[in-house]
Amino acid sequence: MTEVGWSIVEVASQLLERDERETVLGDLAEAGESAWRGLHDVLGLVIRRQAILWKNWRPWLAAFGVSLPGSFFLMGFSLSVSLTFRQIITTKIFEGAGPGFLLLICHAFLLVGWSWSSGFVVGSVARRTLWVSIASCCFPCLFCLARFRVESLSRFCLLLFVLPAIWGVRQGLRITRIKLSLAVVLAVAITVLTIPTWSGRGQPWWSPPALMNWILGWPAWYLLATARRPGRETERS
Amino acid sequence: MLGEFEYLLITAAAGLGDNAYGAAIREEIEATTGRRCSLGALYTTIDRLETKGLLKTWMGDATPQRGGRAKRMVRVTPKGVRAAKDFYDAVTRVSRGASWVANRTGSTS
Repeated sequence: MTEVGWSIVEVASQLLERDERETVLGDLAEAGESAWRGLHDVLGLVIRRQAILWKNWRPWLAAFGVSLPGSFFLMGFSLSVSLTFRQIITTKIFEGAGPGFLLLICHAFLLVGWSWSSGFVVGSVARRTLWVSIASCCFPCLFCLARFRVESLSRFCLLLFVLPAIWGVRQGLRITRIKLSLAVVLAVAITVLTIPTWSGRGQPWWSPPALMNWILGWPAWYLLATARRPGRETERS
Repeated sequence: MLGEFEYLLITAAAGLGDNAYGAAIREEIEATTGRRCSLGALYTTIDRLETKGLLKTWMGDATPQRGGRAKRMVRVTPKGVRAAKDFYDAVTRVSRGASWVANRTGSTS
């Protein structure tokens, strides 16, 4: 029982950072605490650490400003891309029918750009509360997957955004800020691609669905605002 | 102004000197106050005090009695000493004349 208890303590301590985990487990071993009190102490510290993190605006932004609404919008857009693709392969686009190959390319680039930039913001802004951001993304996904009723499409068409988003998260965790030149290209490309996508469907840019897609573009502009500027890096170094 | 637990922690760390680290400070606080001190309260307070510049911490050596795990050593900075002294002076001043103070001013016993 004691060994099992200490195994649970060891697992719970994985939620702490490496140095702190070493210190806490060492303190518990030195004090000869019971596994139960050890678990109580470790979980208490984990909860306090998380509570401190949530005093900042960043985890809230990442989880509830980007991840939760973004996953809903990106699922909708993934579905849109899938439907466009299906329409193209079932109609003869080269004879003038269907939405057009160019529109599909625009959609695909936008999907990748939005997903990557949203993932990057989530990864870079709140890396220590990433698990909450991931949960905020997973809940809408599971909700929509369970209610998906388009027979001609696989339900996994909703999740086209996941891979570029994971790629963005990984990059965000690694480098925190992107280069200014890359940020400019990304923000401008996403914005420019957004205009023909929606005007091409006969909807003005201020219509609600179009506005949702403008909202998805803000992570790219956030990345531009926080990009690494060569002059400032030189000043710091 | 320090909080009560912050004062206890700084005072315990100062008393332990070069042997001040998490487990030792915790043991000292528990022995002195007779109250349980959780590791969560201890380490979040240590972090807060370090951010304020009242403590300095670093990772120390690992020992066999700790299962080969490192200690987080603690040292009170001069600013921490001043803050603890200010707290002690304030508590001493405000306690003058209190009924539970043994040799209070004006006491007839």
